[in-house]
Amino acid sequence: MQRIRLLFAAAAILLLGFLSFPHPASAAEEEAKYKDKYTEECAHMLAEGKTLDDCQTAPNPLLPETNEIIWGVVGFAVVFGAIAWKGLPAIKGSMDARTERIRSDLDAAEAQRTEATGVLAEYQAQLTDARSQSAAIIEEARQAADEVKATLVAKAEADVAEMRTKAAADIEAAKVQAIADLRGEVANLAIGAAEEVVGANLDRDASVALVEAYIDRVGANR
Amino acid sequence: MLALEFPPLSHIVNWPGLAGDGQWWEINKVVLVYGAAVLFTLLIFILGNKKQLVPTGAQNLAEMAVEFVEDGIVMETMGKEGIKYTPYLLSLFFFIFFTNIFEVIPIIQMPASARIALPMFLALLSYVIYHGAGFKSHGIGYIKHALVPPGVPVALLILVVPIEFISKFLVQPFSHTVRLFANLLAGHILLVTFAVLSSGLVVAKWYVVFSPLPIIGVIFFTAFEVLVSFLQAYVFTLLTGVYINAAQSHEH
Repeated sequence: MQRIRLLFAAAAILLLGFLSFPHPASAAEEEAKYKDKYTEECAHMLAEGKTLDDCQTAPNPLLPETNEIIWGVVGFAVVFGAIAWKGLPAIKGSMDARTERIRSDLDAAEAQRTEATGVLAEYQAQLTDARSQSAAIIEEARQAADEVKATLVAKAEADVAEMRTKAAADIEAAKVQAIADLRGEVANLAIGAAEEVVGANLDRDASVALVEAYIDRVGANR
Repeated sequence: MLALEFPPLSHIVNWPGLAGDGQWWEINKVVLVYGAAVLFTLLIFILGNKKQLVPTGAQNLAEMAVEFVEDGIVMETMGKEGIKYTPYLLSLFFFIFFTNIFEVIPIIQMPASARIALPMFLALLSYVIYHGAGFKSHGIGYIKHALVPPGVPVALLILVVPIEFISKFLVQPFSHTVRLFANLLAGHILLVTFAVLSSGLVVAKWYVVFSPLPIIGVIFFTAFEVLVSFLQAYVFTLLTGVYINAAQSHEH
């Protein structure tokens, strides 16, 4: 690109040089005055007391030469027209496409967000349902456990009562047996003692009857 | 013959002061172009800063432009690490583009980049930024990073290190400057040349038959310079991105 521009610049300068070459008829006339209008302007400026620096700046602080403005406007108008004709629709098209793409992306994101919100609500409902179900199951299990516990406690209490009753009966029987055994033993001891005291054998059956009658009487008095 | 008088180069690039003539703060046409370019660059930021969710019109255009710089320059040259440089590169691109495009705007017809001050300032600013990025990334080891390419035999370092130093620390900002300056100055001269030629030929006698050629030239180069204005802004910004990336990169 740089080479192409240099080639164009060289061609333009050559053409400029060719066209600037003074016509033989006017050459002598030009030589008599100044080389060109810029040299003439500079000469006048120097004559007016200005410096060489003044000659080295553009004549107008803002505007280029009139011919530059005219042809600059022509070139710009054509290029601007071409851009407005072909370029702007393309630029506008890509801008519209971008706007549409962003809008559709946003719409898609909004749709996904709505869908996600729905799914979330569904999950939350399912979660709530699961929680209530689990609470019901736990309550049911608790009640069943309470029932089992009550049954077991009642059974245990019944068993304990039965065991107590049986134990009391056993104790009573043992007691009766013990008393009977004790009574026999005491009677024997008493008879033996009485035999020793009186020195004579007593009739055994009569002695036992006497002792037992005595014990019964003592027991009745207590 | 044609009364064809081409203005001196100084007349098409050297503008007298509108205020403060000769002072350091002199305001001339080039300074006005800088000001206009700053305004247009700010406008891009202001328009791009609208918060409409679905952008339309100017906001859309500004966002497209920002996306172009971010995707086409920042991500291409530096990747995600370069995102922090987006504001600078964005400003650089639009400021250069707007200073360039005044080359074809009627009546103004002066690219501020055709004066070396602006390209030189921007190149030096970029120079400070990319070497700063290098020192920030590598510390003092950046000097070795910059001067010693990987894999070079030790014996060649005596030759390579001075070359790298001249290339990266001296020539690089110069080439960065001249690339922009020379392109815009050449374009400006071309447009003036073809305008003078067109003007001379349409009033000539039989040479008038050639007048369509320079007129076509004016039109062609006006379009071409629109492209050049864009491309040179892009190239300057792209190279800045490349230099920053090369300075801060750890891929040695």
